[in-house]
Amino acid sequence: MIETIAVKKRDVKGSRAMIRIRESGSIPAILYGHGEENVCLTVSLDTVNNLIKHGTKLVTLSGDIDDTALLRAVQWSSMGDYIIHVDFARVSQTETVEVSVPIHLHGEAPGAMSSAGQLRFVTHEVTIRCPAVKIPEFIVCEIGALQLGQSIHVNELKLPEGATAVTPSSIVIVQVAAQSGAEGAEATASPSEPELIRKEKAADAGA
Amino acid sequence: MALMPKRVKHRKSQRGRIKGNATRGNKVVFGDWGLQCLQGGWIRAQTIEAGRIAANQYVRGEGRLYIRVFPDKPVSSKPLETRMGKGKGEPEYWVAVVRPGTVLYELSGVSEQQAKVCFARLAAKMPIRVRLVRRRPA
Repeated sequence: MIETIAVKKRDVKGSRAMIRIRESGSIPAILYGHGEENVCLTVSLDTVNNLIKHGTKLVTLSGDIDDTALLRAVQWSSMGDYIIHVDFARVSQTETVEVSVPIHLHGEAPGAMSSAGQLRFVTHEVTIRCPAVKIPEFIVCEIGALQLGQSIHVNELKLPEGATAVTPSSIVIVQVAAQSGAEGAEATASPSEPELIRKEKAADAGA
Repeated sequence: MALMPKRVKHRKSQRGRIKGNATRGNKVVFGDWGLQCLQGGWIRAQTIEAGRIAANQYVRGEGRLYIRVFPDKPVSSKPLETRMGKGKGEPEYWVAVVRPGTVLYELSGVSEQQAKVCFARLAAKMPIRVRLVRRRPA
């Protein structure tokens, strides 16, 4: 899915100018790639929030710049409350790109229905390589047949046509594991003080 | 049993200062919901364990709890009725140093309502202000 977003060229740089831009309801952004010059931009915050909400990766920039770009990176504030910066990478629509796509589970695992099994969603995102126009919003992982002790790996995912997984195929996506009975019971005989890595000084002096 | 390192390079450490917000360990990685601290401070190993027990009692059989902090700092103290001097006290307990923004616990496999109740029980054990956060979109 391609969305068109309006961008403005930005001449100002520095943290104080960026704070002013954020206060005005926009976000600083940058456009780079394809060996061309980097362009500093500003984008509306609502637009970027919408892109992230819908998982859109490929965008058409309009306004001061007309280009096709990939939403490459999003920087969040340290508390994770708001977005502070966005990176766009130039791509052509036929180009093959590497992107991280979220995984959505579908169905209910029969193994996790009983009290003995517990569904563990281990890997939430998978990196795929696919044509820019065919980047999926998410990848569906069907767990309707997952029994106790079974797991689904990256190579068992149904990827869209033309896409290949970059994430190692042996990585577990989701599994139904047996419930651990006594948690924390393994630490019953732990020592009162940890072992020292270095040698004691007294031992050195005595030698 | 409370968490503690297996091996250490030095038995005692200086107090240090907590400056700024967390830049690492500040997002939900393993689960769907996280308990993020809003203040910096020291969290004792016993407190982390108390939180784990409180949360596990609630989510037992459904969700899974992840502990994202580890108490790797020894805190020493002098015995009662001891005169000053004669060197630094002996290590008494272990703490995890957290900055504002650090995700302390994560929870997966539960609904938002369950996560809220579970983390409310857990938050009551914590010595600092905390809040519920969700996983950021990819």
